[in-house]
Amino acid sequence: MRIPITGIGVIAPGAIGIEAFRALLASGGSAVAEVDRFDTSGLSAHKAALVRDFKPKDFIPAMKMRRMNTLSRLGVAAAKLAIEDCGAALQPDTGVAIGTAFGPVQTSVEYMQEYAEKGAALAPPQLFAESVANAPGSHIAIEWGLRGFNVTITQRESSALAAAMYAATQLAKGSASAALIGGVEEANEMLFSVLDRIGALAYDGHPGITLGEGGAVLVAGAGTRKPYGWLAGFGIARDATATISNYGRNPVVNVRAMQSAVEDARVDKIDAVYVSMNGAPLCDEVEREALMLFPRAELVRTKQVFGEYAAGGALQIAAALVALDESRYDNVLVNSVSAGGGIVCAVLTKEAA
Amino acid sequence: MRIPDLSTRIAVTGAGIVCSIGRDKAEVWRAIVESRAGIAKLTRFAGETFPTDLAAEVNVELPKGKRLSRTDLLAVIAAKEAISQAGDIPIERAIVSTGTSTGGLLEGEDYYFSRLVRGRRRASASRVLQQPTSGPSDAVASTFKLGGGVISNATACASAGAAIGMAADYLRSRHADVAIAGGSDALCRLTYSGFNVLQAVDPAPCSPFDANRKGITLGEGAGYLVLERWDDAVARGATILAELSGYGASCDAHHPTAPAEDGHGAEAAMRGALAEGRLTPASVDYVNAHGTGTMLNDSAESRAITATLGTDVPVSSSKSYFGHTLGASGAVEAVVTVLALQNQIAPPTLRLRERAPECPLDYIPDTPRPMELANVLSNTFGFGGSNVSLLFRRV
Repeated sequence: MRIPITGIGVIAPGAIGIEAFRALLASGGSAVAEVDRFDTSGLSAHKAALVRDFKPKDFIPAMKMRRMNTLSRLGVAAAKLAIEDCGAALQPDTGVAIGTAFGPVQTSVEYMQEYAEKGAALAPPQLFAESVANAPGSHIAIEWGLRGFNVTITQRESSALAAAMYAATQLAKGSASAALIGGVEEANEMLFSVLDRIGALAYDGHPGITLGEGGAVLVAGAGTRKPYGWLAGFGIARDATATISNYGRNPVVNVRAMQSAVEDARVDKIDAVYVSMNGAPLCDEVEREALMLFPRAELVRTKQVFGEYAAGGALQIAAALVALDESRYDNVLVNSVSAGGGIVCAVLTKEAA
Repeated sequence: MRIPDLSTRIAVTGAGIVCSIGRDKAEVWRAIVESRAGIAKLTRFAGETFPTDLAAEVNVELPKGKRLSRTDLLAVIAAKEAISQAGDIPIERAIVSTGTSTGGLLEGEDYYFSRLVRGRRRASASRVLQQPTSGPSDAVASTFKLGGGVISNATACASAGAAIGMAADYLRSRHADVAIAGGSDALCRLTYSGFNVLQAVDPAPCSPFDANRKGITLGEGAGYLVLERWDDAVARGATILAELSGYGASCDAHHPTAPAEDGHGAEAAMRGALAEGRLTPASVDYVNAHGTGTMLNDSAESRAITATLGTDVPVSSSKSYFGHTLGASGAVEAVVTVLALQNQIAPPTLRLRERAPECPLDYIPDTPRPMELANVLSNTFGFGGSNVSLLFRRV
């Protein structure tokens, strides 16, 4: 069984909407730039891939927008674009599966600031309502009346792929007729400064990741547009050599997950791998070894364009779908390797069978 | 893509729990049959002012774990009990699926306060690194060297129920051979304060379904189940505690924090679980309700149960014992449900003095009820309108 993706909505660093996203990918450029939204003075890193031209009021009525944090606005706006793109209204039994690596960190910070200044009993309830990671998925369901499953996955770098795996499984077993699959992430001062403090961010020749953000939503299993591509198979594993805060060292586990996804998809070749490589030396080194499994596949490094955690990883999936839509490949594998050892990968195909 | 084979039966071969009424299954079950709640004055945030001052705190010595949050450590305690009971499982093909709402937010708060006082350059970042909600799953996987995969579900209070249902699906689609599935959440200031500002906390110990109920009592804890395909469990000679026979999930699509008053989402989740378990409503013997003690939840859930199962089925809320353990509740209460099946005793609802008019069901007041339990539902619902219902069957 394969699941068609008929709609894509992206609020990405350097691109709002699918056509701008296509153009950004085609240009070979990068959305990584100096951070100007928050203060990075005194920190080592100063660059990130930030969403710059997003105007939530273009997508969400002002009354509703006031009740949403940045993550929810990204999610709802991306969902609106995706639903418009798919060409059809969604049935009420449609499910929602959203991935986010860090979730509402900024909302928690703002809440605790009010808590510290005004006292525990006077902190704002609206911030509390938005302090749960599933707030974006909830707003999406409310906005379009979607009463199917509604889950939020927070598995670091693998969040959006794990959400896609869950949603595809539910569609395969018939729990819902369609699903919105996606991810949201917000680059904020707290997250940036902590990652900088532990040496995780890249700067001036220091290897590391570049933080990304954004929102991306895919329409799966519904819509009238010709599918961009099909979710065809998944693989999941964990590298038991990983510590709780770092990547594992055993490429064989990544090979096992990728093989499992290929078998699940029943394809005989992989044309391109959308790699997990993010600039962290251990992540890149181990994945590079694992990718010997596909010696002829093209390696596509989307994290150089959008940074790590961009839309919870969903921009990586969206980029692969655009390539399938443009007939550049028949079969691609999207790989995600997480700190803590988690690995989720998916095979996407151009055709239904 | 492999389709989950719904004819594949899922066996529960291990269960672990830690909450305010016990450090393990034996202690928890003893407290349940003795109708002994674990709700007392909040101690964890001493010196701070909240409108209410009660909580269901876990009082156990936590294992040592470098870079692990309190939520992570509670997860490790419960998972250890579950894995020990399951025995010799194939750890290289064991997936961990954990639900949590707050993760290590308690430790994150320490960092936020430290930053406010000391500034970002001088505050130690070590505590905030424990904050991500992927922590409990990663901690369990790392502690027990599990290699099948790791997934974290942060769907508010429906997190753990969804994590368990998801794990069963991955067994049915053969993405894993065994699953350590559950949830964990520790009390923290943000949630304690947040539910208070929403005026959703009862100043007295919560009294679900009571006419004078005023809200929840916040709790903490963790619960895990070991799940395997039935035939695999039998083949390795495992003791099967119960069968997880159905999983239903839905969304109210109604309000960010309040449940739909007509209970349509809860009803859809229960109907989904029954459909997956190929069971008629009349075959359900007991419902372990979400039963938070809020005005809205208890009335909406009662309506949903009535619409789905009728008015004869006994229902109770275990939260009257150990409070609302938030993202862990689906797992903690799933373990209680499995214990109820094993012991053929339905746990009661404590402190139910006067049944609310909008809650017209049999809520098993005060005293455990020995009864024949073959098929039971365990409900969990969360912020954002997410609903999960799990169906368990006696072995």
